Amino acid sequence: MKQPVNISTSEDIAYKLKVLAQEKENVRRKLVVTARQLAVTAREKESARRKLVITASKLKKLYETLEKKVFDRTKDLAQLRSRSEAILASVGDGLVVVNKEGRINYINKSFEEMLGWKAKEVLGKSMVQVVPREDIHGTKVSFKERILTQVLSGEKFVADLTNPFYYIRKDTSRFPTSSIVAPVTLDGKIVGAVEVFRDITKEKEIDKAKTEFVSLASHQLRTPLSTVNWYSEMLLSGDAGKVTSTQKKYLEEIYRGNQRMVELVNTLLDVSRIELGTLVVESKPTNIIKLIESVIDEQKPQILEKMIAFTSSFQKTIPLMKADQKLLRMVVQNILSNAIKYTPDKGKVNISLTLDETKTILLKISDSGYGIPKNQQHKIFTKLFRADNVIGKDTEGTGLGLYIAKSIVEQGGGKIWFTSDENKGSTFYVTLPLVKKKKDGYRRSFLAPLT
Amino acid sequence: MPLSKNKKTILVIEDERPLAHAIQTKLEQHDFIVITARTVNQGLDYLENVKVIDAIWLDHYLPGEKTGLDFVAELKSSGSKWKDLPIFIVSNTASSGNVKSYLRLGVSKYCVKAEHRLDQIVIDLQDFLNTTE
Repeated sequence: MKQPVNISTSEDIAYKLKVLAQEKENVRRKLVVTARQLAVTAREKESARRKLVITASKLKKLYETLEKKVFDRTKDLAQLRSRSEAILASVGDGLVVVNKEGRINYINKSFEEMLGWKAKEVLGKSMVQVVPREDIHGTKVSFKERILTQVLSGEKFVADLTNPFYYIRKDTSRFPTSSIVAPVTLDGKIVGAVEVFRDITKEKEIDKAKTEFVSLASHQLRTPLSTVNWYSEMLLSGDAGKVTSTQKKYLEEIYRGNQRMVELVNTLLDVSRIELGTLVVESKPTNIIKLIESVIDEQKPQILEKMIAFTSSFQKTIPLMKADQKLLRMVVQNILSNAIKYTPDKGKVNISLTLDETKTILLKISDSGYGIPKNQQHKIFTKLFRADNVIGKDTEGTGLGLYIAKSIVEQGGGKIWFTSDENKGSTFYVTLPLVKKKKDGYRRSFLAPLT
Repeated sequence: MPLSKNKKTILVIEDERPLAHAIQTKLEQHDFIVITARTVNQGLDYLENVKVIDAIWLDHYLPGEKTGLDFVAELKSSGSKWKDLPIFIVSNTASSGNVKSYLRLGVSKYCVKAEHRLDQIVIDLQDFLNTTE
């Protein structure tokens, strides 16, 4: 189809104008819409700006509060810190805090005064190295055996109050110490430890004075005891004329009672000698089996009287050993006489002696006796302690025998322990090391191998 | 000489009167002649003047400044005329150090009063003197 060329008529023009007007109207409308949109956006912007202003002021306020809080907290902490430091500084006991490697983080004033070290000299150094520890015999305690090392390796909290030891000062002098070590834990892990220690020179002096008093009193008691002994002995042998059978009986009671007192005094003297360290140790080549057999012979009357089924077994290969016979005898005698004393008539007692590969002699004495009540077993080696269940049955015990036995065995480097069931019996074990260790030769001098 | 030839004379140095009396009684029962002294100096005096003393029974702690140990040291010193006189120490103060010192000085025996019967000590002394005769 062909377009008419000359169509430009007025109708056409009017039509075109109409179209144009329409387009113009459309553009205007769009402009109006856009303008409205812009107005909205502007409003939104304004509101956002206002919000920002508010937030900024809030932030400023928060910041100021925080600043104050931090300030207050720092003040609190500083106060707390100075208070803690004042407490630690005023504590009379020495105090040291170490990290998990055992290096010193903190020491208090008493530490400085007691050991002669200044904080700046020891911070960051190993506590175990800075402050060596010696036992009562002057033997250095090894790194592994230090309680601090043990606590840091998680081997439980240790209070070392029973075994006295010495701390060495910067000037190499020493003082007796008692210490408590506690681990510092964070989330269940050990991150360090705190040790508190005390100079126990005074306590030791008092203890020594007490022992010396017991020793002196015991010596003094012996003179009147001898008088009673000798005069009742003379009356009994008729030196002052014939005595009637009743008089004889009474005199024998006096004599026996006095003998018991003499024995008690002698035992007290032994205890004070052990405690004062004045016990003279004389080591001689000893056949321990023969020694035990002679102790058994001594106990024969009691064994027979109580009709006790007594058995013994000794390993034949036990060599001669260098030992103080009097002391060794006291150990065997105390345990064996207990076994017999605390076993009812017709009971069983066994003694055996073996030697193991580590050259340790094991002495075992078991009985079928009264046993030691469970709740009193921890006290059985305590001086003057006697278990409830035997106090009524036997009046002759002093409560000193096992204390003496333990002191002797431990001074000789051995160990003593027991197992016991009430009304079934007890078994006591004693180990006597034959191998003399170089490091603490002093302690084992009375139980040394015969070379 | 008023002193019998067969009987032996013992010088007992013991300061506790009841003990000294008991010792004297027991020794006399066993046919000894007894001289008692309470101090070291008194003992030395008797030694010098009585002359016929055969043995000495000696306690350790005695009144005065000197102990039994000083007495023994003097008797056993070189040049002493009593060097070979037997000495029995009968004491209650048996510290190991003392016992050792006595034995080193050469006493014949050391016994603890409270642990021995009186007649046993007397018999021991008698036996000792008989075997060394």
